[in-house]
Amino acid sequence: MNLTLLSAAGVFSIAGALLSLVLYRRESVAKILSCCCGVASSVLALGFGLLSMFGPAQVFRMASPFEFADFSVSCNPLSGLLIAVIAVLAIAAWIYGFSYFDEYRGRGIGKIGFYMNLFVISMIFVVAVDNAFWFLVFFELMSLTSYFLVVFDRSEQAQRGGFVYFVMAHIGFLMIMIAFLIMANAAGGSFEFADLRAVSVAPAVASVVFMLAFLGFGIKAGMVPFHSWLPLAHPEAPSNVSALMSGGMVKIGIFGIVKVCFDLLGASGCQLWWGFIVVVFGAVSAVFGIAYAVAERDIKRTLAYCSVENIGIILIGVGTAIAATALDQPVIAALGLLAGLYHLLNHAMFKGALFLSAGSAIFRVHTRSLDAMGGLAHRMPWTAAVFLIASVAICAIPPLNGFASEWITYQSLLSISFDAAPLVKTVAVLAAASLAVSGALAIVCFVKAYGVAFTGAPRSDRARASREAPASMVVASVLLVVICIGLGVGAAWVAPAIQGIAASVLGTAVGASAVAVGSELVNPLSGTGVSLILIAALLALFVLLLAGLRSLARYRAGIGLRDDPWDCGYLPEAEMPAATTSFASAARMFFEALYRIRELASAQKEKVLCLYERFVGGIRKVEPFADRYVVDGVIKVVDRLSQVAQKVEGGDYRVYISYVVGALVFFLILTVVIG
Amino acid sequence: MNEILLAIIQPVLLLLAAPLFSGVSRVLRAKMHTRRGPSVFQDYYDLIKLFKREDVRTRDSGAPFRIMPVLFLATVLLLAMGVPMITRFCPIPALGDFIVVVYLLALPRFFFALSSIDSSGSYPGVGGIRELLASSLIEPSMIIALFAVAIATGCSNIGDMGNALATLSFTSPIAMVVAAFAFCIACYMELGKLPYDVAEAEQELQEGPLAEYSGPSLAMIKLAMSLKQIIVISMVLAIFFPFGSAVDMAPASLALGLLAFLVKMSIVFTVCALIENTVVRVRFKLLSQHTWMVVGCSVLSLAFLVMGI
Repeated sequence: MNLTLLSAAGVFSIAGALLSLVLYRRESVAKILSCCCGVASSVLALGFGLLSMFGPAQVFRMASPFEFADFSVSCNPLSGLLIAVIAVLAIAAWIYGFSYFDEYRGRGIGKIGFYMNLFVISMIFVVAVDNAFWFLVFFELMSLTSYFLVVFDRSEQAQRGGFVYFVMAHIGFLMIMIAFLIMANAAGGSFEFADLRAVSVAPAVASVVFMLAFLGFGIKAGMVPFHSWLPLAHPEAPSNVSALMSGGMVKIGIFGIVKVCFDLLGASGCQLWWGFIVVVFGAVSAVFGIAYAVAERDIKRTLAYCSVENIGIILIGVGTAIAATALDQPVIAALGLLAGLYHLLNHAMFKGALFLSAGSAIFRVHTRSLDAMGGLAHRMPWTAAVFLIASVAICAIPPLNGFASEWITYQSLLSISFDAAPLVKTVAVLAAASLAVSGALAIVCFVKAYGVAFTGAPRSDRARASREAPASMVVASVLLVVICIGLGVGAAWVAPAIQGIAASVLGTAVGASAVAVGSELVNPLSGTGVSLILIAALLALFVLLLAGLRSLARYRAGIGLRDDPWDCGYLPEAEMPAATTSFASAARMFFEALYRIRELASAQKEKVLCLYERFVGGIRKVEPFADRYVVDGVIKVVDRLSQVAQKVEGGDYRVYISYVVGALVFFLILTVVIG
Repeated sequence: MNEILLAIIQPVLLLLAAPLFSGVSRVLRAKMHTRRGPSVFQDYYDLIKLFKREDVRTRDSGAPFRIMPVLFLATVLLLAMGVPMITRFCPIPALGDFIVVVYLLALPRFFFALSSIDSSGSYPGVGGIRELLASSLIEPSMIIALFAVAIATGCSNIGDMGNALATLSFTSPIAMVVAAFAFCIACYMELGKLPYDVAEAEQELQEGPLAEYSGPSLAMIKLAMSLKQIIVISMVLAIFFPFGSAVDMAPASLALGLLAFLVKMSIVFTVCALIENTVVRVRFKLLSQHTWMVVGCSVLSLAFLVMGI
């Protein structure tokens, strides 16, 4: 059953890819067919994911064209979760595509359909396969297809973003490959994850493997300081692909880290310092990512930087789990991994909704600059509502889902600090502090994004002329935001399910330490609980009551509508309301140091680039030597040979006939002599 | 059952009494200025007057501008149900986790700043952004200081934390003193009083974002702001000064708890008024340095905690 679903998903995706390539010239047909195939494939993959999440873990092995690597597929809760997340995002992205791809009419919708189908299915197979060789194959396919989607626009920015992405993705790929090869070597040359899992390597080797995998997958996840490609590449892709990249693809990096650490290196055991490294990278990513997001003026770059922040938060949870496993604290480990996986799921949903609704705004206003939008809430109410709710969710404000996972992250950090060694405490409290700072800055960032783009008066003529996005785009983004609300209000029912997944990854049982009691999320160690559904219900009640009260008061006193704001009596002008720069300059005043570090880093980058230029210059000087001695020599020999050939091959057909006759005679004599 | 009753009574009473608290604090300040000052009921009169006035907004303003007053008041009422005031435990424990309380305060802040931009006035926008940036450091210092307390006491529920501190069942006493200091300053900044804010002056930080509001909406915001002040102060009292609060639901101890709450509140308001009368308003640029100092203070409490003293 599982395998049928997965292979059917694969067949649909490949069919969609090929059909959109074949029907390249008939764009409407190509668009509809690729989107339909994409939706079908994603729905099937979602089925596979859900079955793996809640079903028994099993591995299927099939023969493949390559003797050394059987095609193995594993169904386990962790991969099921990842596949379900990617599939839900992909469903939304494809539904969105029905209208959104019209933007690319005349520029090759067929090509987008081709690459995007392959991109989605390669992400799903990366997670599903249980063999290092096939993992790397699909990982590379995922990087390549997404690269082509990034450079699809062919603008200079897209080329540059794509190039940086391409280089970084391959550096990461190389590190992951080396990590797998070291493990395969220890496992007697087998690429099967089952064999890698069984083998136990020396702690030093395990550390090398872990660090390579962590850095390699960390590049894919976009953690600081390897994040530079993310805000360059993600915004350049079509918006629904950005949603898939930011919501789905970067999560493969997290998946890889979890898989290598707990699954493949499970027999060798985690080490405490791995957890520290992961938490510290996560904490740094969280603060820097969001600080840079505040300073951005481009709506998609803001969202991309914010992905860096959220990856940091996920890494904090994962790192806590690693440290707790090393400290032999299974309950805290499950709590930490739950926090990471829950936030992974949440981030995929709200970042997907944000990218899709930002894409709708760009679809109408035709610019990514926030300062050229403004006042879109009146013109595109659904899109604005989605962006607003998703913003509240991503700012970790209760009762939405971002808060649920961040609360569990805080609780896991708190739990690991009780009765712990000073070093563990130090790392945990630093992580908590960075979580607090990034949470507060996220509010600044999203007040900026929503405030400048959607509220107030329009800031450009295009914004003034915009209207609601087509239905399919609205439906897709609403779908994701509804899931966000469900994941938040229903946290007490979602969290235990993910806790089960986390426990299965760690090889422990949840037992009596469940993370939810009744309708409350509970820290099983301290017993402190929070009920998000109660908060949601009471807030709704109070809001309704007070709104009724206010309407009553207004009914008596009346509502006045003005064209211009009062503005303390001054005559308002179009340039006066707050813009992105107002946020950036105020943020700079408060967080000078963070921005100065970036300037220092980019100065270093220039130096590195200079070094690269010099390197290339050097190579250019060295290059002719090889030409002179190797290439020129070969050319001379070929030249001489051809001169000889000219004599033999004069172009006279009578000579050719005599050659043929001569050859015939020669072979006849030969057969007679031998015979 | 009794706890739920308390959870319902607490916000209602607070809603009724909040203007009295702010009225008293205005009178206190007036006395220190040797002015006669308004009546202690002046804030009630203001609110009633505002409720009768027209609600004006610009055509360009949207949902955030309209929903903010209602949402602000709803959130503080919700908080009033969870934060312990006259008791040592949270009336509804599921609303009393310190992370929930601090993050719930972020909900109105988000919409507060958003509505200031939504109003499309330039002064409110600037005020909203300043308010937001200032709290982007105040909120973390509150979280960090309370995180230190939570580690030292082994729980993260406000009531339990206060109880553990009161019964001396915690580690690292010096860290707790530093955390209390940092948290108090952070809360003081959150209150929006001098030297960081002049609530009376329009175009300034806290009232600036409200420049475009009028009528019932403005009344609701004013009410919510004075409620928020009481809640933030009650949080400080519940965690670090839970003395006298009721440990059970017996009527006598509840009455004593109420008395203790009123006494503590009046002390806090007097201290605040004293501070407000002895300092001048600092420039906004200085605010960033001061907030960093508070962050530093709260991080220091964590450092002491790690050292175990």
